[in-house]
Amino acid sequence: MRRKQKNIIIVTLAVLIAILFLLPLVWMVFTSFKTLSESMSSSAILPKVWTLQNYVDIFSPTSDAPILLWVFNTAVITAVGTILVVVIDILAAYSLARLNVPGKNIIIGIIIMALTIPGIVTLFPAFYIFKSFNLLDTFIPLILPYTASTMGVFLIYNFLVSFPKDLEEAAYLDGASQMQILRHVIFPAIKPVAVTLGVITFMGIYNDYLWPSLVINSNEMKTLTLGIATLIQGSNFVNPAGMMAATMVATIPAIVVFLVANKYFVKSVTNSGIK
Amino acid sequence: MHKGTSTKTWAILMVSPFVLCFILFWLAPMLLGLWVSLHNWNLSSGNNGFVGLQNYVDILTPGSLYNEAFMLALKNTLVFVVISVPPLVIIALGLALVLDNLPTRLKPVFRTIYFVSYSISVTAVSAIFLWLFNENGGFINNLLVSIGILDQPINWLSEQPYAWLSILIATVWWTIGFNMMLFINALDEVDPSLYEAADLDGANAFRKFIYITLPQIKNVAFFIIIMTVIASFNLYGQSRLITAGGPEQSTTTLTMGIQNTVFGMNQLGIGSSMAILMGIIMLLVTAAQYFMSYRKKEVN
Repeated sequence: MRRKQKNIIIVTLAVLIAILFLLPLVWMVFTSFKTLSESMSSSAILPKVWTLQNYVDIFSPTSDAPILLWVFNTAVITAVGTILVVVIDILAAYSLARLNVPGKNIIIGIIIMALTIPGIVTLFPAFYIFKSFNLLDTFIPLILPYTASTMGVFLIYNFLVSFPKDLEEAAYLDGASQMQILRHVIFPAIKPVAVTLGVITFMGIYNDYLWPSLVINSNEMKTLTLGIATLIQGSNFVNPAGMMAATMVATIPAIVVFLVANKYFVKSVTNSGIK
Repeated sequence: MHKGTSTKTWAILMVSPFVLCFILFWLAPMLLGLWVSLHNWNLSSGNNGFVGLQNYVDILTPGSLYNEAFMLALKNTLVFVVISVPPLVIIALGLALVLDNLPTRLKPVFRTIYFVSYSISVTAVSAIFLWLFNENGGFINNLLVSIGILDQPINWLSEQPYAWLSILIATVWWTIGFNMMLFINALDEVDPSLYEAADLDGANAFRKFIYITLPQIKNVAFFIIIMTVIASFNLYGQSRLITAGGPEQSTTTLTMGIQNTVFGMNQLGIGSSMAILMGIIMLLVTAAQYFMSYRKKEVN
Protein backbone atom coordinates (compact mmCIF):
# COMPACT_ATOMS: atom_id res chain seq x y z
CA MET A 1 0.00 0.00 0.00
CA ARG A 2 2.77 2.46 0.93
CA ARG A 3 4.61 1.53 -2.26
CA LYS A 4 1.55 2.46 -4.32
CA GLN A 5 1.22 5.84 -2.56
CA LYS A 6 4.86 6.56 -3.17
CA ASN A 7 4.42 5.71 -6.85
CA ILE A 8 1.47 8.07 -7.23
CA ILE A 9 3.41 10.95 -5.67
CA ILE A 10 6.54 10.36 -7.76
CA VAL A 11 4.61 9.94 -11.03
CA THR A 12 2.63 13.14 -10.34
CA LEU A 13 5.88 14.98 -9.70
CA ALA A 14 7.42 13.56 -12.88
CA VAL A 15 4.40 14.65 -14.92
CA LEU A 16 4.54 18.21 -13.53
CA ILE A 17 8.24 18.45 -14.40
CA ALA A 18 7.53 17.04 -17.87
CA ILE A 19 4.96 19.79 -18.43
CA LEU A 20 7.57 22.43 -17.53
CA PHE A 21 10.02 20.89 -20.00
CA LEU A 22 7.46 20.61 -22.80
CA LEU A 23 5.73 24.00 -22.37
CA PRO A 24 8.28 26.08 -24.32
CA LEU A 25 8.15 23.58 -27.20
CA VAL A 26 4.34 23.36 -27.15
CA TRP A 27 4.19 27.16 -27.06
CA MET A 28 6.54 27.30 -30.07
CA VAL A 29 4.35 24.87 -32.06
CA PHE A 30 1.06 26.68 -31.43
CA THR A 31 2.48 30.20 -31.74
CA SER A 32 3.69 29.35 -35.24
CA PHE A 33 0.01 28.89 -36.22
CA LYS A 34 -1.17 32.21 -34.75
CA THR A 35 -1.72 35.41 -36.70
CA LEU A 36 0.89 38.12 -36.20
CA SER A 37 -1.38 40.34 -34.09
CA GLU A 38 -2.60 37.45 -31.97
CA SER A 39 0.94 36.20 -31.35
CA MET A 40 1.86 39.62 -29.94
CA SER A 41 -1.10 39.92 -27.56
CA SER A 42 -2.02 36.34 -26.78
CA SER A 43 -2.01 35.00 -23.26
CA ALA A 44 -3.28 31.56 -24.29
CA ILE A 45 -1.28 28.64 -25.61
CA LEU A 46 -3.77 27.66 -28.32
CA PRO A 47 -4.47 30.00 -31.26
CA LYS A 48 -7.97 31.52 -31.48
CA VAL A 49 -7.58 31.71 -35.25
CA TRP A 50 -5.42 29.07 -36.92
CA THR A 51 -3.32 30.18 -39.88
CA LEU A 52 -0.63 28.72 -42.13
CA GLN A 53 0.36 32.20 -43.29
CA ASN A 54 3.63 32.20 -41.30
CA TYR A 55 4.82 29.08 -43.11
CA VAL A 56 3.67 30.44 -46.49
CA ASP A 57 5.65 33.61 -45.74
CA ILE A 58 8.92 32.00 -44.72
CA PHE A 59 8.85 29.56 -47.66
CA SER A 60 7.97 32.23 -50.24
CA PRO A 61 10.84 33.15 -52.61
CA THR A 62 10.55 36.83 -51.72
CA SER A 63 11.07 36.20 -48.02
CA ASP A 64 14.13 37.84 -46.50
CA ALA A 65 14.75 34.45 -44.94
CA PRO A 66 15.65 32.01 -47.78
CA ILE A 67 14.79 29.10 -45.55
CA LEU A 68 14.82 26.42 -48.26
CA LEU A 69 18.36 27.42 -49.11
CA TRP A 70 19.27 27.21 -45.42
CA VAL A 71 17.79 23.71 -45.25
CA PHE A 72 19.85 22.73 -48.29
CA ASN A 73 23.08 24.24 -46.91
CA THR A 74 22.53 22.55 -43.56
CA ALA A 75 21.88 19.18 -45.22
CA VAL A 76 25.08 19.42 -47.28
CA ILE A 77 27.43 20.49 -44.51
CA THR A 78 26.04 18.12 -41.85
CA ALA A 79 26.12 15.12 -44.24
CA VAL A 80 29.59 15.79 -45.66
CA GLY A 81 31.02 16.93 -42.33
CA THR A 82 29.68 13.97 -40.36
CA ILE A 83 30.87 11.36 -42.89
CA LEU A 84 34.32 13.00 -43.13
CA VAL A 85 34.78 13.15 -39.38
CA VAL A 86 33.64 9.57 -38.76
CA VAL A 87 35.79 8.09 -41.56
CA ILE A 88 38.90 10.10 -40.71
CA ASP A 89 38.57 9.33 -37.00
CA ILE A 90 38.01 5.57 -37.51
CA LEU A 91 41.07 5.28 -39.74
CA ALA A 92 43.25 7.24 -37.32
CA ALA A 93 42.01 5.40 -34.24
CA TYR A 94 42.55 2.00 -35.91
CA SER A 95 46.05 2.98 -36.95
CA LEU A 96 46.88 4.24 -33.45
CA ALA A 97 45.35 1.33 -31.58
CA ARG A 98 46.51 -1.54 -33.80
CA LEU A 99 49.19 -0.72 -36.34
CA ASN A 100 52.09 0.70 -34.30
CA VAL A 101 52.25 3.87 -36.32
CA PRO A 102 55.55 5.76 -35.81
CA GLY A 103 55.22 8.51 -33.21
CA LYS A 104 52.08 6.88 -31.80
CA ASN A 105 52.63 8.01 -28.20
CA ILE A 106 53.32 11.59 -29.23
CA ILE A 107 50.13 11.71 -31.32
CA ILE A 108 48.04 10.30 -28.48
CA GLY A 109 49.63 12.73 -26.03
CA ILE A 110 48.80 15.67 -28.29
CA ILE A 111 45.22 14.42 -28.77
CA ILE A 112 44.65 14.34 -25.02
CA MET A 113 46.29 17.74 -24.54
CA ALA A 114 44.12 19.25 -27.29
CA LEU A 115 41.01 17.94 -25.51
CA THR A 116 41.82 20.06 -22.45
CA ILE A 117 42.49 23.35 -24.28
CA PRO A 118 39.42 25.61 -24.48
CA GLY A 119 38.08 26.18 -28.00
CA ILE A 120 38.16 29.98 -27.69
CA VAL A 121 41.95 29.92 -28.11
CA THR A 122 41.84 28.66 -31.71
CA LEU A 123 38.57 30.30 -32.78
CA PHE A 124 39.65 33.74 -34.02
CA PRO A 125 43.03 32.68 -35.49
CA ALA A 126 41.19 29.95 -37.43
CA PHE A 127 38.82 32.62 -38.74
CA TYR A 128 41.83 34.74 -39.74
CA ILE A 129 43.39 31.84 -41.65
CA PHE A 130 40.22 31.29 -43.71
CA LYS A 131 39.98 35.03 -44.27
CA SER A 132 43.58 35.19 -45.49
CA PHE A 133 42.90 32.42 -48.02
CA ASN A 134 39.70 34.15 -49.21
CA LEU A 135 37.60 31.18 -48.12
CA LEU A 136 35.05 33.06 -46.04
CA ASP A 137 31.43 32.65 -47.13
CA THR A 138 32.08 29.20 -48.65
CA PHE A 139 31.24 25.67 -47.49
CA ILE A 140 34.90 24.93 -46.76
CA PRO A 141 35.14 26.63 -43.34
CA LEU A 142 31.68 25.24 -42.54
CA ILE A 143 32.88 21.65 -43.02
CA LEU A 144 36.63 21.09 -42.71
CA PRO A 145 37.45 22.54 -39.26
CA TYR A 146 35.25 19.92 -37.56
CA THR A 147 37.72 17.25 -38.73
CA ALA A 148 40.32 18.65 -36.32
CA SER A 149 38.29 17.56 -33.30
CA THR A 150 40.23 14.96 -31.33
CA MET A 151 37.22 13.73 -29.36
CA GLY A 152 36.19 11.13 -31.97
CA VAL A 153 39.66 9.62 -32.35
CA PHE A 154 39.95 9.42 -28.58
CA LEU A 155 36.50 7.76 -28.29
CA ILE A 156 37.16 5.06 -30.91
CA TYR A 157 40.78 4.57 -29.83
CA ASN A 158 39.65 3.84 -26.28
CA PHE A 159 37.05 1.38 -27.55
CA LEU A 160 39.54 -0.47 -29.75
CA VAL A 161 42.18 -0.69 -27.03
CA SER A 162 39.75 -2.57 -24.78
CA PHE A 163 38.48 -4.74 -27.65
CA PRO A 164 40.08 -8.21 -28.10
CA LYS A 165 42.42 -8.63 -31.08
CA ASP A 166 41.81 -12.35 -31.74
CA LEU A 167 39.53 -11.97 -34.74
CA GLU A 168 41.84 -9.55 -36.51
CA GLU A 169 44.84 -11.77 -35.94
CA ALA A 170 42.96 -14.78 -37.31
CA ALA A 171 41.94 -12.79 -40.39
CA TYR A 172 45.51 -11.57 -40.80
CA LEU A 173 46.89 -15.12 -40.67
CA ASP A 174 44.32 -16.11 -43.29
CA GLY A 175 45.94 -13.54 -45.57
CA ALA A 176 43.38 -10.72 -45.33
CA SER A 177 44.66 -7.23 -46.24
CA GLN A 178 44.43 -4.26 -43.87
CA MET A 179 41.48 -2.89 -45.85
CA GLN A 180 39.67 -6.24 -45.70
CA ILE A 181 40.26 -6.47 -41.96
CA LEU A 182 38.93 -2.94 -41.52
CA ARG A 183 35.84 -3.69 -43.58
CA HIS A 184 34.92 -7.15 -42.33
CA VAL A 185 36.23 -7.23 -38.78
CA ILE A 186 36.70 -3.72 -37.40
CA PHE A 187 33.69 -1.90 -38.88
CA PRO A 188 31.08 -4.39 -37.61
CA ALA A 189 32.73 -4.38 -34.18
CA ILE A 190 32.92 -0.62 -33.74
CA LYS A 191 29.58 0.16 -35.38
CA PRO A 192 27.85 1.26 -32.14
CA VAL A 193 30.67 3.66 -31.22
CA ALA A 194 30.90 4.92 -34.81
CA VAL A 195 27.14 5.64 -34.87
CA THR A 196 27.45 7.37 -31.49
CA LEU A 197 30.25 9.53 -32.86
CA GLY A 198 28.17 10.21 -35.97
CA VAL A 199 25.21 11.38 -33.89
CA ILE A 200 27.35 13.66 -31.69
CA THR A 201 29.12 15.08 -34.74
CA PHE A 202 25.86 15.66 -36.63
CA MET A 203 24.33 17.44 -33.64
CA GLY A 204 27.48 19.49 -33.12
CA ILE A 205 27.64 20.71 -36.72
CA TYR A 206 23.87 21.17 -37.02
CA ASN A 207 23.65 23.26 -33.85
CA ASP A 208 26.90 25.21 -34.13
CA TYR A 209 26.33 28.95 -34.00
CA LEU A 210 29.45 30.94 -33.04
CA TRP A 211 31.84 29.52 -35.68
CA PRO A 212 29.42 29.79 -38.64
CA SER A 213 28.53 33.33 -37.52
CA LEU A 214 32.20 34.30 -37.94
CA VAL A 215 32.87 32.73 -41.35
CA ILE A 216 29.51 33.26 -43.10
CA ASN A 217 28.20 36.64 -44.15
CA SER A 218 25.78 36.29 -47.04
CA ASN A 219 22.22 35.19 -46.39
CA GLU A 220 22.41 32.52 -49.12
CA MET A 221 25.27 30.64 -47.43
CA LYS A 222 23.75 30.41 -43.95
CA THR A 223 22.79 27.29 -42.04
CA LEU A 224 19.39 26.94 -40.34
CA THR A 225 20.95 27.54 -36.93
CA LEU A 226 22.73 30.69 -38.11
CA GLY A 227 19.65 31.79 -40.06
CA ILE A 228 17.54 31.79 -36.90
CA ALA A 229 20.10 34.09 -35.26
CA THR A 230 19.85 36.42 -38.26
CA LEU A 231 16.07 36.51 -37.92
CA ILE A 232 16.36 37.30 -34.21
CA GLN A 233 18.73 40.18 -34.90
CA GLY A 234 17.01 41.36 -38.08
CA SER A 235 13.75 42.84 -39.19
CA ASN A 236 11.58 39.86 -38.22
CA PHE A 237 12.35 40.80 -34.64
CA VAL A 238 8.80 41.95 -34.00
CA ASN A 239 7.02 38.90 -35.37
CA PRO A 240 6.87 36.08 -32.82
CA ALA A 241 4.56 33.96 -35.00
CA GLY A 242 6.89 34.10 -38.02
CA MET A 243 9.87 33.62 -35.75
CA MET A 244 8.36 30.45 -34.28
CA ALA A 245 7.48 29.07 -37.73
CA ALA A 246 11.14 29.42 -38.75
CA THR A 247 12.27 28.00 -35.41
CA MET A 248 9.96 25.00 -35.98
CA VAL A 249 11.63 24.31 -39.33
CA ALA A 250 15.08 24.58 -37.73
CA THR A 251 14.19 22.49 -34.68
CA ILE A 252 12.24 19.55 -36.11
CA PRO A 253 15.20 17.84 -37.89
CA ALA A 254 17.29 18.00 -34.70
CA ILE A 255 14.47 16.60 -32.56
CA VAL A 256 13.70 13.83 -35.09
CA VAL A 257 17.37 12.76 -35.18
CA PHE A 258 17.45 12.92 -31.40
CA LEU A 259 14.37 10.70 -31.03
CA VAL A 260 15.46 8.18 -33.69
CA ALA A 261 19.03 7.98 -32.40
CA ASN A 262 18.01 8.30 -28.75
CA LYS A 263 19.81 5.10 -27.79
CA TYR A 264 23.10 6.34 -29.27
CA PHE A 265 22.66 9.82 -27.88
CA VAL A 266 22.24 8.34 -24.42
CA LYS A 267 25.37 6.27 -25.02
CA SER A 268 27.30 9.36 -26.09
CA VAL A 269 26.66 10.89 -22.69
CA THR A 270 27.80 7.72 -20.97
CA ASN A 271 30.97 7.79 -23.04
CA SER A 272 31.68 11.43 -22.28
CA GLY A 273 31.40 10.64 -18.60
CA ILE A 274 34.96 9.38 -18.53
CA LYS A 275 35.46 7.87 -15.12
CA MET B 1 54.02 -9.21 -37.17
CA HIS B 2 55.36 -10.21 -40.58
CA LYS B 3 55.03 -8.00 -43.64
CA GLY B 4 56.26 -5.23 -41.34
CA THR B 5 56.82 -2.54 -43.94
CA SER B 6 53.41 -2.89 -45.52
CA THR B 7 51.74 -2.64 -42.11
CA LYS B 8 53.79 0.47 -41.37
CA THR B 9 52.80 2.04 -44.69
CA TRP B 10 49.16 1.31 -43.99
CA ALA B 11 49.51 2.75 -40.50
CA ILE B 12 50.90 6.03 -41.84
CA LEU B 13 48.35 6.22 -44.65
CA MET B 14 45.46 5.72 -42.26
CA VAL B 15 46.52 8.20 -39.61
CA SER B 16 47.67 10.93 -41.98
CA PRO B 17 44.26 12.43 -42.97
CA PHE B 18 43.53 13.09 -39.32
CA VAL B 19 47.03 14.38 -38.57
CA LEU B 20 46.81 16.70 -41.58
CA CYS B 21 43.39 18.05 -40.57
CA PHE B 22 44.55 18.47 -36.98
CA ILE B 23 47.63 20.42 -38.04
CA LEU B 24 45.70 22.63 -40.48
CA PHE B 25 42.64 23.39 -38.36
CA TRP B 26 43.87 23.13 -34.78
CA LEU B 27 47.63 23.34 -34.43
CA ALA B 28 48.13 26.09 -37.03
CA PRO B 29 45.39 28.34 -35.53
CA MET B 30 46.75 27.62 -32.05
CA LEU B 31 50.31 28.65 -32.97
CA LEU B 32 49.09 31.57 -35.08
CA GLY B 33 47.06 32.77 -32.08
CA LEU B 34 50.14 32.70 -29.84
CA TRP B 35 52.17 34.50 -32.53
CA VAL B 36 49.49 37.14 -33.23
CA SER B 37 49.07 37.81 -29.51
CA LEU B 38 52.67 39.08 -29.44
CA HIS B 39 52.03 41.59 -32.23
CA ASN B 40 50.11 44.75 -32.88
CA TRP B 41 47.93 42.89 -35.35
CA ASN B 42 45.02 44.65 -37.01
CA LEU B 43 42.19 42.53 -38.41
CA SER B 44 41.99 44.47 -41.68
CA SER B 45 45.46 45.97 -42.16
CA GLY B 46 47.44 43.01 -40.81
CA ASN B 47 50.66 42.88 -38.81
CA ASN B 48 51.92 46.25 -37.54
CA GLY B 49 54.96 44.94 -35.71
CA PHE B 50 56.17 42.83 -32.80
CA VAL B 51 55.21 44.14 -29.36
CA GLY B 52 56.29 41.28 -27.09
CA LEU B 53 53.99 40.88 -24.13
CA GLN B 54 52.63 44.43 -24.42
CA ASN B 55 49.11 43.21 -25.37
CA TYR B 56 48.94 41.13 -22.20
CA VAL B 57 50.30 44.05 -20.13
CA ASP B 58 47.67 46.38 -21.65
CA ILE B 59 44.85 43.96 -20.88
CA LEU B 60 46.02 43.41 -17.30
CA THR B 61 46.92 47.04 -16.45
CA PRO B 62 44.02 48.82 -14.72
CA GLY B 63 42.79 51.93 -16.46
CA SER B 64 43.34 50.92 -20.07
CA LEU B 65 40.44 50.59 -22.48
CA TYR B 66 41.15 46.90 -23.05
CA ASN B 67 41.50 46.25 -19.34
CA GLU B 68 38.05 47.70 -18.71
CA ALA B 69 36.49 45.63 -21.47
CA PHE B 70 38.19 42.41 -20.38
CA MET B 71 37.55 42.83 -16.66
CA LEU B 72 33.89 43.72 -17.20
CA ALA B 73 33.40 40.68 -19.41
CA LEU B 74 35.28 38.47 -16.95
CA LYS B 75 33.19 39.76 -14.05
CA ASN B 76 29.95 39.15 -15.98
CA THR B 77 31.07 35.66 -16.93
CA LEU B 78 31.94 34.84 -13.32
CA VAL B 79 28.53 36.13 -12.20
CA PHE B 80 26.91 33.68 -14.60
CA VAL B 81 29.16 30.81 -13.46
CA VAL B 82 28.22 31.50 -9.84
CA ILE B 83 24.46 31.75 -10.45
CA SER B 84 24.21 28.93 -12.99
CA VAL B 85 26.39 26.10 -11.70
CA PRO B 86 24.43 25.36 -8.47
CA PRO B 87 21.02 25.04 -10.19
CA LEU B 88 22.49 23.18 -13.18
CA VAL B 89 24.02 20.60 -10.86
CA ILE B 90 21.47 20.38 -8.02
CA ILE B 91 18.33 20.36 -10.20
CA ALA B 92 19.98 17.80 -12.49
CA LEU B 93 20.58 15.53 -9.51
CA GLY B 94 16.96 16.07 -8.40
CA LEU B 95 15.67 15.09 -11.84
CA ALA B 96 17.88 12.00 -11.87
CA LEU B 97 16.52 10.98 -8.46
CA VAL B 98 12.91 11.46 -9.63
CA LEU B 99 13.61 9.29 -12.69
CA ASP B 100 15.40 6.71 -10.58
CA ASN B 101 12.34 6.28 -8.35
CA LEU B 102 9.82 5.97 -11.19
CA PRO B 103 8.31 2.58 -12.10
CA THR B 104 10.73 0.97 -14.59
CA ARG B 105 8.50 1.09 -17.64
CA LEU B 106 7.90 4.85 -17.26
CA LYS B 107 11.59 5.74 -16.98
CA PRO B 108 12.51 5.93 -20.70
CA VAL B 109 9.53 8.16 -21.55
CA PHE B 110 10.28 10.78 -18.91
CA ARG B 111 14.02 10.55 -19.48
CA THR B 112 13.47 11.40 -23.14
CA ILE B 113 11.13 14.31 -22.30
CA TYR B 114 13.62 15.83 -19.84
CA PHE B 115 16.49 15.40 -22.31
CA VAL B 116 14.86 16.46 -25.60
CA SER B 117 15.54 20.21 -25.23
CA TYR B 118 19.27 19.44 -25.23
CA SER B 119 19.04 18.52 -28.93
CA ILE B 120 17.96 22.03 -29.97
CA SER B 121 20.36 24.73 -31.14
CA VAL B 122 21.18 27.74 -28.98
CA THR B 123 19.62 30.02 -31.61
CA ALA B 124 16.29 28.15 -31.47
CA VAL B 125 16.38 28.19 -27.66
CA SER B 126 17.07 31.92 -27.76
CA ALA B 127 14.26 32.56 -30.25
CA ILE B 128 11.78 30.73 -28.01
CA PHE B 129 12.84 32.38 -24.75
CA LEU B 130 13.24 35.79 -26.35
CA TRP B 131 9.55 35.67 -27.21
CA LEU B 132 8.49 34.09 -23.94
CA PHE B 133 10.23 36.86 -21.98
CA ASN B 134 9.84 39.75 -24.41
CA GLU B 135 8.74 42.99 -22.79
CA ASN B 136 6.24 43.99 -25.47
CA GLY B 137 4.17 41.10 -26.69
CA GLY B 138 6.09 38.35 -24.88
CA PHE B 139 3.94 35.48 -23.69
CA ILE B 140 4.91 35.53 -20.01
CA ASN B 141 4.13 39.23 -19.56
CA ASN B 142 0.86 38.82 -21.50
CA LEU B 143 -0.11 35.91 -19.29
CA LEU B 144 0.92 37.41 -15.93
CA VAL B 145 -0.79 40.72 -16.68
CA SER B 146 -3.99 39.12 -17.99
CA ILE B 147 -4.48 36.91 -14.94
CA GLY B 148 -3.70 39.83 -12.65
CA ILE B 149 -0.44 38.67 -11.06
CA LEU B 150 1.33 41.71 -12.51
CA ASP B 151 -0.07 45.25 -12.90
CA GLN B 152 2.72 46.18 -15.28
CA PRO B 153 4.84 44.07 -17.60
CA ILE B 154 8.28 43.20 -16.20
CA ASN B 155 11.30 44.30 -18.24
CA TRP B 156 12.71 40.79 -18.37
CA LEU B 157 15.39 41.60 -20.93
CA SER B 158 16.46 45.16 -20.16
CA GLU B 159 16.57 45.25 -16.38
CA GLN B 160 18.65 43.32 -13.87
CA PRO B 161 18.33 40.90 -12.18
CA TYR B 162 15.62 39.84 -14.65
CA ALA B 163 18.01 39.70 -17.62
CA TRP B 164 20.24 37.18 -15.84
CA LEU B 165 17.14 35.30 -14.68
CA SER B 166 15.87 34.99 -18.26
CA ILE B 167 19.24 33.73 -19.52
CA LEU B 168 19.49 31.37 -16.55
CA ILE B 169 16.04 29.86 -17.11
CA ALA B 170 16.74 29.39 -20.83
CA THR B 171 20.08 27.76 -20.05
CA VAL B 172 18.70 25.43 -17.38
CA TRP B 173 15.87 24.34 -19.70
CA TRP B 174 18.29 23.81 -22.57
CA THR B 175 21.23 22.00 -20.99
CA ILE B 176 20.14 20.40 -17.73
CA GLY B 177 19.25 17.11 -19.44
CA PHE B 178 22.93 16.45 -20.10
CA ASN B 179 23.95 16.68 -16.44
CA MET B 180 20.86 14.66 -15.51
CA MET B 181 21.96 11.83 -17.83
CA LEU B 182 25.39 11.76 -16.21
CA PHE B 183 23.78 11.56 -12.76
CA ILE B 184 21.45 8.76 -13.93
CA ASN B 185 24.49 6.74 -15.03
CA ALA B 186 26.16 7.35 -11.69
CA LEU B 187 23.04 6.32 -9.74
CA ASP B 188 22.76 3.15 -11.82
CA GLU B 189 26.25 2.13 -10.80
CA VAL B 190 25.64 2.31 -7.05
CA ASP B 191 25.80 -1.22 -5.64
CA PRO B 192 22.19 -2.23 -4.71
CA SER B 193 23.41 -4.36 -1.81
CA LEU B 194 24.40 -1.15 0.01
CA TYR B 195 20.75 -0.06 0.03
CA GLU B 196 19.59 -3.52 1.11
CA ALA B 197 21.96 -3.43 4.05
CA ALA B 198 20.68 0.03 4.99
CA ASP B 199 17.07 -1.23 4.74
CA LEU B 200 17.88 -3.97 7.23
CA ASP B 201 19.25 -1.31 9.57
CA GLY B 202 15.97 0.59 9.15
CA ALA B 203 17.46 3.67 7.49
CA ASN B 204 14.97 6.13 5.92
CA ALA B 205 15.21 7.49 2.37
CA PHE B 206 16.91 10.71 3.45
CA ARG B 207 19.61 8.94 5.45
CA LYS B 208 20.20 6.49 2.60
CA PHE B 209 20.69 9.45 0.24
CA ILE B 210 23.15 11.20 2.57
CA TYR B 211 25.15 8.18 3.69
CA ILE B 212 25.06 5.91 0.62
CA THR B 213 24.05 7.72 -2.57
CA LEU B 214 26.07 10.93 -2.13
CA PRO B 215 29.40 9.30 -1.24
CA GLN B 216 28.96 6.78 -4.07
CA ILE B 217 28.32 9.42 -6.77
CA LYS B 218 30.82 11.95 -5.40
CA ASN B 219 33.41 11.49 -8.16
CA VAL B 220 30.89 11.80 -10.97
CA ALA B 221 29.39 14.85 -9.25
CA PHE B 222 32.81 16.48 -9.22
CA PHE B 223 33.28 15.75 -12.91
CA ILE B 224 29.83 17.25 -13.61
CA ILE B 225 30.65 20.41 -11.63
CA ILE B 226 33.89 20.91 -13.60
CA MET B 227 32.12 20.35 -16.94
CA THR B 228 29.34 22.76 -15.94
CA VAL B 229 31.78 25.48 -14.86
CA ILE B 230 33.51 25.18 -18.25
CA ALA B 231 30.18 25.28 -20.11
CA SER B 232 29.02 28.35 -18.16
CA PHE B 233 32.36 30.07 -18.79
CA ASN B 234 31.65 29.67 -22.50
CA LEU B 235 28.25 31.41 -22.29
CA TYR B 236 27.71 33.13 -25.61
CA GLY B 237 24.63 32.45 -27.73
CA GLN B 238 22.00 33.05 -25.07
CA SER B 239 23.36 36.42 -24.00
CA ARG B 240 24.17 37.47 -27.56
CA LEU B 241 20.66 36.69 -28.79
CA ILE B 242 18.30 37.02 -25.81
CA THR B 243 19.69 40.14 -24.10
CA ALA B 244 22.22 41.32 -26.74
CA GLY B 245 24.75 41.67 -23.92
CA GLY B 246 22.62 44.22 -22.11
CA PRO B 247 21.31 45.97 -20.12
CA GLU B 248 24.36 48.27 -20.04
CA GLN B 249 26.70 45.43 -21.05
CA SER B 250 25.88 43.53 -17.86
CA THR B 251 25.43 40.24 -19.75
CA THR B 252 28.37 40.78 -22.12
CA THR B 253 30.45 37.65 -21.55
CA LEU B 254 34.15 36.97 -22.19
CA THR B 255 33.53 35.36 -25.57
CA MET B 256 31.39 38.34 -26.61
CA GLY B 257 33.97 40.79 -25.26
CA ILE B 258 36.74 39.12 -27.27
CA GLN B 259 34.55 39.05 -30.37
CA ASN B 260 33.88 42.79 -29.95
CA THR B 261 37.61 43.45 -29.61
CA VAL B 262 38.42 41.49 -32.78
CA PHE B 263 35.55 42.64 -34.98
CA GLY B 264 34.32 45.87 -33.38
CA MET B 265 37.75 47.37 -32.65
CA ASN B 266 39.64 45.46 -35.39
CA GLN B 267 42.24 44.33 -32.82
CA LEU B 268 43.13 40.73 -33.66
CA GLY B 269 46.33 40.94 -31.58
CA ILE B 270 44.61 42.14 -28.41
CA GLY B 271 41.71 39.76 -29.05
CA SER B 272 44.06 36.78 -29.37
CA SER B 273 45.77 37.74 -26.11
CA MET B 274 42.37 37.97 -24.41
CA ALA B 275 41.39 34.54 -25.78
CA ILE B 276 44.61 33.01 -24.47
CA LEU B 277 44.06 34.65 -21.06
CA MET B 278 40.51 33.28 -21.01
CA GLY B 279 41.87 29.83 -21.88
CA ILE B 280 44.44 30.07 -19.09
CA ILE B 281 41.79 31.17 -16.57
CA MET B 282 39.57 28.22 -17.55
CA LEU B 283 42.45 25.77 -17.25
CA LEU B 284 43.39 27.20 -13.83
CA VAL B 285 39.80 26.93 -12.57
CA THR B 286 39.59 23.34 -13.82
CA ALA B 287 42.97 22.47 -12.32
CA ALA B 288 42.02 24.08 -8.98
CA GLN B 289 38.79 22.08 -8.80
CA TYR B 290 40.61 18.90 -9.77
CA PHE B 291 43.26 19.57 -7.15
CA MET B 292 40.62 20.20 -4.48
CA SER B 293 38.85 16.92 -5.21
CA TYR B 294 42.20 15.11 -5.21
CA ARG B 295 43.16 16.60 -1.84
CA LYS B 296 39.80 15.67 -0.36
CA LYS B 297 40.27 12.09 -1.48
CA GLU B 298 43.71 12.01 0.13
CA VAL B 299 42.37 13.33 3.43
CA ASN B 300 39.59 10.77 3.49
